[in-house]
Amino acid sequence: MTLSILIWLPLVVAVFGAILGAKVAPKLAVLGSLAALGIAISFVVRFESGQDTLQFVTNESWISELGISYKLGVDGLNVVLLLLTTFLFALATIFANLREWDRPGLFYFHLGLAQTAVLGAFCAQDLILFVAFFDLMLIPFYFLTGIWGCGDREQRVRGTQKLVIYTLVGSLLMLVAAVATGVLASQQHDTDLTFALSALQELPLSEGSQQWIFLCFAAAFLVKMPAFPLHGWLPDGYKAMPLPALAVFSGVLSKVAAYGFLRIVLPVFPDASVHFQELLLLIALASILYGSAMAFSAQNVRLVVAYSSVAQMGFITLGIFALNEDGAQGALLQMVNHGLVTVPLFFIVALLASRAGGSEELKDMGGIAFRAPVLATLFLIVSLATLAMPGSANFAGEFLILLGVFDAKPAFAFFAALGVALAAVYMLRAFIRSMHNRVNPSADSREITFRDLGVLVPSVVVIVALALYPQFGLSKSEATTKAAVAQVQAKTGQLTAETSSQASEEHTP
Amino acid sequence: MSTTTWAWLVLAFPLAGTILIGLGHKRLARGPAGAIGTLAILLAFASAVASLISLQGQDEHHRQLTSSLWDYAVSGSIDARLAILVDPLSVFMMLVVTGVSTLIHLYSISYMKSDRGNARYFAYLNFFVFSMLVLVLAANFLLLIVGWAFVGAASYLLISFWYRRDTATKAGIKAFVINVVGDVGLVLGTFFILRYSGTLDFLGTFEAVRAGAFDAHEGALVAGCLLLLVGAFAKSAQLPFHTWLPDAMEGPTPVSSLIHAATMVTAGVYLISRMFPLFEAAPAAANVGAIVGCATLLVAGTIALTQTDIKRVIAYSTMSQIGYMIMGVSAGAYAAGLFHLMTHAFFKALLFMAAGSIIGAMAGAQSLDKMSGFKRAMPFTFGCFVVGGLALSGVPPFSGFFSKDEILAMVGAREGWFTVLYVVGYIGAFLTGIYTWRMIFRAFFNRPCPEAVELEHGHIAHAEYPTNPANGEREDTEVGFPGPEHVIADREQPMKIAMGLLAIGATILGVLQIPFVTHVITDFLEPTFADSKYVHLHASDGMIWFGMILGTVVALAGIAIAYHIWVRKPGTAAALQARFGWLHRFLVNKWYFDELIDFLIVRPWAAAGTFFRTWFEPRVVDGLFIGGATGIVRAGSAVVRTLQSGFLRYYAALLLLGGGAVVLYFLIASS
Repeated sequence: MTLSILIWLPLVVAVFGAILGAKVAPKLAVLGSLAALGIAISFVVRFESGQDTLQFVTNESWISELGISYKLGVDGLNVVLLLLTTFLFALATIFANLREWDRPGLFYFHLGLAQTAVLGAFCAQDLILFVAFFDLMLIPFYFLTGIWGCGDREQRVRGTQKLVIYTLVGSLLMLVAAVATGVLASQQHDTDLTFALSALQELPLSEGSQQWIFLCFAAAFLVKMPAFPLHGWLPDGYKAMPLPALAVFSGVLSKVAAYGFLRIVLPVFPDASVHFQELLLLIALASILYGSAMAFSAQNVRLVVAYSSVAQMGFITLGIFALNEDGAQGALLQMVNHGLVTVPLFFIVALLASRAGGSEELKDMGGIAFRAPVLATLFLIVSLATLAMPGSANFAGEFLILLGVFDAKPAFAFFAALGVALAAVYMLRAFIRSMHNRVNPSADSREITFRDLGVLVPSVVVIVALALYPQFGLSKSEATTKAAVAQVQAKTGQLTAETSSQASEEHTP
Repeated sequence: MSTTTWAWLVLAFPLAGTILIGLGHKRLARGPAGAIGTLAILLAFASAVASLISLQGQDEHHRQLTSSLWDYAVSGSIDARLAILVDPLSVFMMLVVTGVSTLIHLYSISYMKSDRGNARYFAYLNFFVFSMLVLVLAANFLLLIVGWAFVGAASYLLISFWYRRDTATKAGIKAFVINVVGDVGLVLGTFFILRYSGTLDFLGTFEAVRAGAFDAHEGALVAGCLLLLVGAFAKSAQLPFHTWLPDAMEGPTPVSSLIHAATMVTAGVYLISRMFPLFEAAPAAANVGAIVGCATLLVAGTIALTQTDIKRVIAYSTMSQIGYMIMGVSAGAYAAGLFHLMTHAFFKALLFMAAGSIIGAMAGAQSLDKMSGFKRAMPFTFGCFVVGGLALSGVPPFSGFFSKDEILAMVGAREGWFTVLYVVGYIGAFLTGIYTWRMIFRAFFNRPCPEAVELEHGHIAHAEYPTNPANGEREDTEVGFPGPEHVIADREQPMKIAMGLLAIGATILGVLQIPFVTHVITDFLEPTFADSKYVHLHASDGMIWFGMILGTVVALAGIAIAYHIWVRKPGTAAALQARFGWLHRFLVNKWYFDELIDFLIVRPWAAAGTFFRTWFEPRVVDGLFIGGATGIVRAGSAVVRTLQSGFLRYYAALLLLGGGAVVLYFLIASS
């Protein structure tokens, strides 16, 4: 079974759904997403850990005159992310099934299109193909927010506007940068034009070209994550997006950006990555602290989760730009962990709102735990995982990230560690103010229904399972991350991971 | 079965109890939940005893066993397995934890029987015991941190168990956050150590230290150990991370007894003992530990003199006693510190249980101002409180006398500036006598208060409108927790059994380590601490005799003064308060630590959050960065509305055109 089937299946199902109409579309979408999950599992099972080469490769010439190919492949960087994507989309599709949508055929079509775009971006091994899928991701969310979004029309328009303007600017910068990469590489090395990532790695650009191209890519990825200070679209954008779409947007799409750093930026622009290491670490640190402060003072539960994502994505960026194996492994594990907590969190936002008369404001909640001990317990487990309590896989990820940064730039590790404590403050605050204290007269303490458990329980089970065995993710990606950071590590003068501890003492770049 | 298999079983029973009670919470409430929880811990205790017997069967040089289930996180420079280390120290801790926990579970069956959250309570309590056992059995830093954080979470859950009280949820988040700061300290400390030891395993790390991995990097080791101390101080309520412990008294009283007296708060003592090869190689850090422990025992002792909430008095006393232990193990007196940990677990758990019984008789009120004359009304509780009080204040031959004295003798034997710590330790002992007996005299002596009179007539007082003891607010009773019925030990068999056994322990456990006669604990722990450079540290015979006499004298003097102030001349306390008003205010306000932390950390942070939300985000992020873009959009919003099509499409088209032009340029340039 090839990767193409996995990638295009959601779109095909979505098209059928749109054609067959409102009655069939929701159920068909669920079946499609479960089928995609099954295929992804089969890839993970057949995946051979311990190799740093691409597996299940598809390589067709696409636009041969421009050296663009339809090249797909799986390695340690994306194998678990494929599983994550299909799992979260399945959850989100079931989540969406719990309520009625206007014009459901079209709604599920966009959800399927989004999944195809994300899977494509994760599998793409050609720069232009990646950019194409990356830009394709935006289209369904434009419609999902604009048509099925939350709030009144004005709010939706504002949210959509900001989202599209921001990400479109980022996308265009990236498109320019991608084209320039291929063109300049062929010019500087006097070869045929090619955009295959494996080839581009062998054709390093001059340092000057690397730097401006790096900045273009970084801008696109940081907007998508989002990172401070490029998160201006986040409050309005997140508020306007319908929750099932938001769950995958925050859970998966932000990971495509972080993944882009590991897949493209570090291997293809190693000099620039080293050059801008401290800038990116600084942005990551600012995201952690600023996101935490905002999550701590936000009055709306959805925004608490939204800003906590800014902080968590900050940790992931921090790990990537530690530019060593520990940091990269931690970042990759954390991408999975963050995805796994985001979907249940946004689902819980929906459950809380339905118990607080439709309001997502903390002031309208309180004391909900009383008749809802199961909901309270599940929320608590997800909250503790989000704040990376030791014992969760999130902690294993943050531990590796901080360790990587500690070896590279210790001062950043110390300041980032503050973010760990702050996460405890904002997550528990949201939990206590919604579930505990006295019953708010406007809130209704109602136990979670059996149907809703169908979304929440699988995600909590996976969170707990990964907490018991984070090695599942780590062992799959180890060989590839080692290779992915090898080049930048060589540039920073760090040796391999085994001796990096001794080496970093002498090298203070 | 092998020693490690028994140890795994010790972990398995409480976990199974948690899961069982959690899943069956609806059916098990108000009945079997307590029995199942207690049984699970009892089985864990039995397994701990089995592993003790099995360990003692091993040759003395092979009493360090590890066992691993699976790779937890093995990647790059970390090698964390799900592994336990069974040696005399961890077996000792297992026995103390499971033993005391069993009795406290038993006590809780009565104490919590009318509480609606009964099943939730026992699920949490079992989870706590599981977490504490993970902490003491962990064979590497990562798993230690997991146990460390789990006990913090369990503590949070139980502090805010009565979550309808906002005082309880506030106390819970405070405890949790301060403990997370401690966790972060542990994590960063681990990084420093891992960098040169190359392994997360304890045994491997100690091996590396002995092999000289830190000889050229002593600074890193000291930094690492100081960060570990942050973790220890936060968990063990040492200055300046102690402010959560008194507030933690919001939890049900058996919780205070188990978590905030007998077990979890002593984790810092365990940590320093476990890490002794590191601290001995980094004496600067160990000295900091000793000094902070000493300062804590004194500060907490002074605060305890003036508090009026009976549970808070005992909480400050706990802080003070842990100060002794931290001082002891930091000074190299490992067996003495751990011996005190054990005796303290008995007498302090006992005191909290007795206090719970008084609170029951007071219908939930906790203020010493309201209590008096309970001596005749509840003789059993009185007897237990007196035994606990005698052990706490260090009167021979009660257990606390021997353990506290041994710590002080060893600290004195270090000579030099340790003599200062030695002297302060005895001043602390003097204060202990006063505040402990102040509590006893006020609660049990003098004229009986109305509740005591009612109890003498056979009725337990019942508050018509239950109030939150912390702030006097009316409770919303419809929820059914705290439970509507109050219980006292004198009438409840399970409470009597638990307290009776603890009272026996608090009385006689001193026989394990009588100077010149027995040294059971020292011998048992010997294999763990055999490599310590303080293994031959001993106080001289003269000093031991001097210490025992001095200890007895200061304890009795403290009791006598308390008797004078609160029984013989009851007006004295008020007169002293009037005379030394400033000092009284300073102590009642707990040296203003809360205010200081609030001023230095909490408020600036909250202000930053508000500033970001109300000013920076709307103006700078929204204004500056969307800047031109939405500025234009907003300016043209009238046009947008009339056109209905939205400015967005126009804008997007413009961007696409511009970007397309650039792309085109590159493609043309390349061909």
